[in-house]
Amino acid sequence: LPAGLSQWFPALEVLDVSGTGLAEMGTELLSLPCLHTLLAKNNRLGGPGSLPKGLGQAPLARSLRVLNLSGNRFAEVPPVLLRLRGLRSLSLGGNRLHGIPPDIQELHSLEFLYLGGNFITAIPPELAKLPSLRYLVLCDNKIQSIPPQLAQLHSLRSLSLHNNLLTYLPREILNLVHLEELSLRGNPLVVRFVRDLTYNPPSLQELAGRTVKTRNVPYAPSDLPESLVRYLSLASNCPNPKCGGVYFDSCVRQIKFVDFCGKYRLPLMHYLCSPECSSPFSSASQSSTSQSESDSEDEASVAAHRMQKVLLG
Amino acid sequence: FRYTRNLVDSGNGKFNLMILCWGEGHGSSIHDHTDSHCFMKILQGNLKETLFEWPGKKGNGEMTKKSERVLRENQCAYINDSIGLHRVENISHTETAVSLHLYSPPFDTCNTFDQRTGHKHKVTMTFYSQYGERTVC
Repeated sequence: LPAGLSQWFPALEVLDVSGTGLAEMGTELLSLPCLHTLLAKNNRLGGPGSLPKGLGQAPLARSLRVLNLSGNRFAEVPPVLLRLRGLRSLSLGGNRLHGIPPDIQELHSLEFLYLGGNFITAIPPELAKLPSLRYLVLCDNKIQSIPPQLAQLHSLRSLSLHNNLLTYLPREILNLVHLEELSLRGNPLVVRFVRDLTYNPPSLQELAGRTVKTRNVPYAPSDLPESLVRYLSLASNCPNPKCGGVYFDSCVRQIKFVDFCGKYRLPLMHYLCSPECSSPFSSASQSSTSQSESDSEDEASVAAHRMQKVLLG
Repeated sequence: FRYTRNLVDSGNGKFNLMILCWGEGHGSSIHDHTDSHCFMKILQGNLKETLFEWPGKKGNGEMTKKSERVLRENQCAYINDSIGLHRVENISHTETAVSLHLYSPPFDTCNTFDQRTGHKHKVTMTFYSQYGERTVC
């Protein structure tokens, strides 16, 4: 970027330096107090000097709303980017990302997140802590599973997951009541019923976590290391309405197929907190299954009908 | 949130002329053209067209890809049901795309196909806007 940029154009609001071969953006950015949109796609950004160090302290940190860094060479999300607290729209499509940092949750104003066309293999549950996220694009990556916590994205309207490595979805996806579009084509979704999978016994940490949650043991951030406070916040509720249990990583999993508006049968993974959890979903309780199984299927189908545009075909 | 269909002209009922706007990563389902002629011209960006064979009578297997190509700006393509089915996608993660479509005779329903099974499902197509006015559904 040319030196003196902020002296010549102190009122600059939109800066588009796309397709200019830029390899770094330096301190010239930091003194642009009115900048709300920065478009820098199709450049050579991605190395150490790509974004200036003082970004977190600059006026930009609060004023920048839209940042487009698609078509560059980022192998990781630059940590300094996560200080842009006012950011509403972020695109890092077509880069070389292998993962998403859990600190993405710092971008609490984020509404639009485009991460398509990278090499992402997993989604951190912390992504679900973005309260205003409406549009999430994760297509053309290498994602193998969706964390059930993603169902906490209450504002989500559109979720793009096509061309990944998903074999099933978490049942909790049905809890996304505002989700209008879900694209899933190009995933190796299982088509046949899969019998119950192996159950890994819970760790001591998990058992302690479950007890804290189900017995409502009070705790404050000063009582526990930060990592444990975070762990406790990621508890998932057992979907069995009769069970008040929670689970963290250890659970019984089985796949059930749910009809979406009579169009597609999607494999949804049901998580139960333990093999003893007497659940309408459990294939073990044979005797009274037919009634309760169809009830739970109906409940799932009703939830599925809310999703207007499941784009699978 | 997905590509938009914007009607420009309905030619005395003989054809539909529309502009489709594709965001990054947007794609269509595999679809047929209800016995009509379909012309497509790329006005901006690039679109990938994947041609598929009609699924067999059994309709219970993965659909067969015939060919695929990337259409560049100003290129034209044509398809009708006797040629086959297709999926059109903007595979770019950085550029949007715009295409001009001419369908004759006009149609507002078609079949979409599940690539994994060949099962078809009839859908009604809607317009995001008509003659420049946003269509409210």
